[in-house]
Formats: sequence, structure tokens, C-alpha cells
Amino acid sequence: MSEAVARSRVMGLSSGFRVLVVDDDPDMSEFLAHMLRAEGMDATTATDGEEGIAKVHAEAPDLVLLDVMMPGLSGFEVCARLKSDEATAMVPIVLVTALDEPVRREELVARVKTLRRLHETRRELERRRLATEVENREAIRRAFSRYISPRLAERILEDDGADGELFSRRAQRVEVVALFADLRGFTSITERTEVVEVVAMLNEYFSILTDAAYHHDATIFNMAGDSLLVGFNVPFPQEDAAKRSYLTAEEMVSRFAPVATRWEQRYGVATGVGVGICMGEAILANVGSPHYTSYTIIGNPVNTAARLMQTAPANQVLMCRSVYDKISDLVPSNRVEPRGEVTLRGKEEPIAIYAARVVVPD
Amino acid sequence: MTQSGYTVTVAKDLADLIPSFMSNRRKELETLRTALAASDFEELRRLGHRMKGAGSSYGFDLVSTIGKTIEDAAKASDAATIGSNLDTYEDYLAKVEIVYE
Repeated sequence: MSEAVARSRVMGLSSGFRVLVVDDDPDMSEFLAHMLRAEGMDATTATDGEEGIAKVHAEAPDLVLLDVMMPGLSGFEVCARLKSDEATAMVPIVLVTALDEPVRREELVARVKTLRRLHETRRELERRRLATEVENREAIRRAFSRYISPRLAERILEDDGADGELFSRRAQRVEVVALFADLRGFTSITERTEVVEVVAMLNEYFSILTDAAYHHDATIFNMAGDSLLVGFNVPFPQEDAAKRSYLTAEEMVSRFAPVATRWEQRYGVATGVGVGICMGEAILANVGSPHYTSYTIIGNPVNTAARLMQTAPANQVLMCRSVYDKISDLVPSNRVEPRGEVTLRGKEEPIAIYAARVVVPD
Repeated sequence: MTQSGYTVTVAKDLADLIPSFMSNRRKELETLRTALAASDFEELRRLGHRMKGAGSSYGFDLVSTIGKTIEDAAKASDAATIGSNLDTYEDYLAKVEIVYE
């Protein structure tokens, strides 16, 4: 074993670059293999074209040294076969010929080393490109996750290409279920507590609401004061959008209840989440100026949901009839009551409103 | 210079490969003789070509020179030249001394 080979084995370099030597003369293939091993590369040999092709498939070498003059398949024919096969077309090939000159050892080694550096550079670039891609993806996912559930974010990333339009400037008309939630009784608390404390309280409240929203794959569109607007059936269709919206409302209300109890003990004020839900056609768009853009939904169902929320007492979910019809099996009838009608702007027929009382734990 | 007149200097790291190389040369000589007896010039040309490649690579320049002469003579179906070169080759293989450095 030469010093170079021994050194490269100790350093674990010998597995770095694999070369297949194809030559019908075993003395030549052994000679070439020996030179390559001395440079710390892995070398295997094949004694004819057919064996060479089989070994390229089996071993996927980083480089092939190919003798041109071989009985049977010539080096040119082997080269053509490897290049025309998708699986092997990318393997670099060096044609070695003894036509006129004996193989110049230094020259060949220098050429192989150049190819090896090229190969390593390419591999490093590819590794960095992949790492950057993963990083970018992660950054996008994190950014998305502030607006939509992590599961939806993942789906948007997976839908690469197909959804270039998803967040485009082009507005879309879509069927949407809009849910507005806000905090009853909170204003009177803010009047008698420190600012720092109010912010901490709002954070606690919004954490519960956004968790509940993400739990049912809602998209969060807006947060203002103590109210939150989330949408369903956008940006991806959800066949059970109405059910998801009701379950979200129920979860918001019931998960906030223990916090309300704690706040009541501390501040002597009763609070609770009130929710309004309505469904219908709305416009989904990026709205704003070049400096500030908001991805949002606009339209009657959103306005109606807001109006319903404003009138919903704590622990109640007010919804329009079209929503109630789809979720009625989720609520026992003794917890539901009709609440008259409202007339939507631009519509002649008034719509019926239903109120569901959410039972909260003590 | 040694008495035989045939001295070859081989890189030390090739030492492992030399016994197999030399044994292949002796087998090659047999094959060449057989081919010449059968006037198989195509086989002679191929073998000569192979000698030309392997010889100098290992440092045995005379093997390459003889190989080239055999290859050229085979193309011209020149049995006499091939015969005399095979005698030189045989003499060489019997007497060559290898120095590793």
C-alpha cells in the first residue's frame, strides 16, 4: 500500500470519489486504478464494454475512465449507450486511448483530479442550494403560520406552482364562511387596569382564539381591538366549512371560560367570548397600497358576521340560517333559539338568525 | 548499466503490480507465437497495440516499441519482422532487470 493510499484511508477520504476503469487489458485497468487509489479515490475495474455498462448501473460511479479500443463494444459505443440512458447520462466519462501515445500518468491524474474538483464543487453547490431552499421554505412556512394554520401553510407550500395565483393581486369571488369573535365586558376592565396588564390579557385571549381557529384550519384575516375575523373555505375549499366554523366558535368560547373565571375573581368583571358567523359570496383579495397590503375577505357575509358578533352576548354564537342548517346536528335543540331576521345589504329577502348557547365548564 | 543491457526503472508505488504485469507479458509472448504460427495478423495487431499501451505506462518502454513494431508489421502481414521482434521480446523478458525507486 502506498503512503498516499494509506493516508487517504486513515483520513477516510477513499470513499469520496469513485471511478470505474473500463479496459480490456487488465494490466492497463489495474495500472489506472492503482494511480487513482494513490490519489485517494476509490477505483473498480471492468474488462469489457458490457461489464462496464452493468457496473455503471450497479455502482453509480462519479467518473468513468473508458478505453476506446476494446474488442466487442468499443469505448465510443459504450459512451453512446451510457449517454442515451437517462439513468447514466450524467456520469462524466473520460475516453482513454493508446492509439498513438502511451498513457501519460501525470496528465491523466491531473485531468481526473480536475474532474473530481468539478464534481465536488458541483456537489457542494447542490448541497448549499438545497439547504437554502429548505431555509426559504421554513421562513415562508413560519410567515404563513402567523395567518393560517400550520397544516394549511404546509399545503400551500406543497401546492407549489398550482397556487401561484393563491395570493396574487387578482381578486376572486368565493363562497366563504366568516366568523367574528370578540370579548364581552373587556372595555370596562381596560378602564381600570395598567396598560402592560391589558396587553398581557389580550395576548392570553388571542392565543386561545387563534389556537382554536388553527385547530379547525381557519385562516385568520384580521385582528383589531379585541375582535378577530377568521374565514373558512378559503384559500382552499373546505366541504365542511360551516361545521368547522361552529366547532371553532364553541372551542373559542369554552376554552376562554376558565380565563373569564380567573379574571372575574381578580377584577370583579364578567367577560366572555361572543361569536357571529355568516356564510355567502365574498371577495378574497390582497387589499391595500404598495406599502401595506392585507389579505382579506370583503362582502355581505363578513359585514353580517360582524353585526351578529356585536349583538352576541358572552358564550353565545349567533349565526345566519344557512350556517345553522348545516350545523344543526351539532347543537342540542334546547340550546338553540331563533332570533328574528336581518336584511342583508343589497338583498331583498331578510335572513333568519339563530343563537346557540355554548355550555361552559364552571 | 547491468550485464543484460535491459534495465527498467519503475516507480516504487507500482511494485505491487509488477509480478502480475510480468506474468501477463510471458503469457502474451505465448499468445503472440501461436498467432504468428497461425498467421493471425488481426490478433497480432491487437496484441501489439495492447503492448504499446501498457508497456510505457508501467515504464517498460521497449515493450511499447516492440508492440508498435508488431502492430505495424501485422497490418502489412510482415511475418518475418514479427518473428524477429518476438525473439527480441523473449530475450528481453528473460533478462530484464527492474529497479524500483
